[in-house]
Amino acid sequence: MKRPLTLFAAALALTAAQAATTTKLTVNGMVCAFCAQGIEKKLKAMPATEAVYVNLADKIVAVQIKDGQTLDIDKVRAEVKDAGYDVVKVETVADTVEALRAASKARP
Amino acid sequence: MTRRRAVAALLLAGAGAVQAGPMGFKDSQMAMGDFGPRWREAWINHAFTARDALGAGGLTMRSDDDRLRREIAEVNYTRLVHRINLPHAQANAWFVMGVGGLRGNDFAGTRTLWAPGLQLDYETTRVYVAAFARLYRADGVNHDYAALRAGFSFYNVEYEQTQPWLVLEARRMRGLSEQVEWTPMLRLINKGWFVEAGANQEGDARFNVMYIF
Repeated sequence: MKRPLTLFAAALALTAAQAATTTKLTVNGMVCAFCAQGIEKKLKAMPATEAVYVNLADKIVAVQIKDGQTLDIDKVRAEVKDAGYDVVKVETVADTVEALRAASKARP
Repeated sequence: MTRRRAVAALLLAGAGAVQAGPMGFKDSQMAMGDFGPRWREAWINHAFTARDALGAGGLTMRSDDDRLRREIAEVNYTRLVHRINLPHAQANAWFVMGVGGLRGNDFAGTRTLWAPGLQLDYETTRVYVAAFARLYRADGVNHDYAALRAGFSFYNVEYEQTQPWLVLEARRMRGLSEQVEWTPMLRLINKGWFVEAGANQEGDARFNVMYIF
């Protein structure tokens, strides 16, 4: 009984990983439009990037990955750090950047 | 306008451009103009790292009665000395060193100008506070400049949208004018540009524009 459950959990995790298309970073110090512009420009130039979303109030930078491509998380982290800001959290989420933008706008 | 006040206004104009935004992000260029009835200024710099920029600018200025004119041409280096990143804020220490020439219609030739400066600022998405000091040193010119800026935005926006700010600036040039100039300004920021418009306590209009590309 234990083995099928383990396999089921692994399958779920794999499905989630395959569906994930966006890397979401929480960034300290990114408070101005000029800060965001520099980060967005660098991340958009990366070959695996489909789209970028920056939200200053929520201090997030989200990079949606092109289908079939892999994003170098360390390079993303380095770009943000090199721009002068601190990455305090990195997540992989299944939402597109447009979904993240819509969710942000929906919040009061 | 007296000669002392005219010279003060000239130097204040040059300093104002620095405090409005020292530099952009790495590999970017920042262009800025500062326009008022008594002066016109424009400069540009290039950020060759996230912490260093080289720039050049020019300024022309005249007194109210048009008898006294000043011109400055300057190359400058800007350095982000230190940044503290906080969960919802950043604090910075900037150093700027300008070298150039100062000309006027009340003396012959061009005088070499040295102008080191320091800026400390603190910023969130809704609040901005900055203190700026700069020394102006040339043959026969020995002035200290100080300015404080504080502002707030009315609300948060998506960073691609236009965000309005209300900014109040107080500035003074020691040795030239004992009057503190107070200028409330409305600032609109949208991604890579901002515009500011306001008027000081004497009613003199001021318009600033900046663009990062």
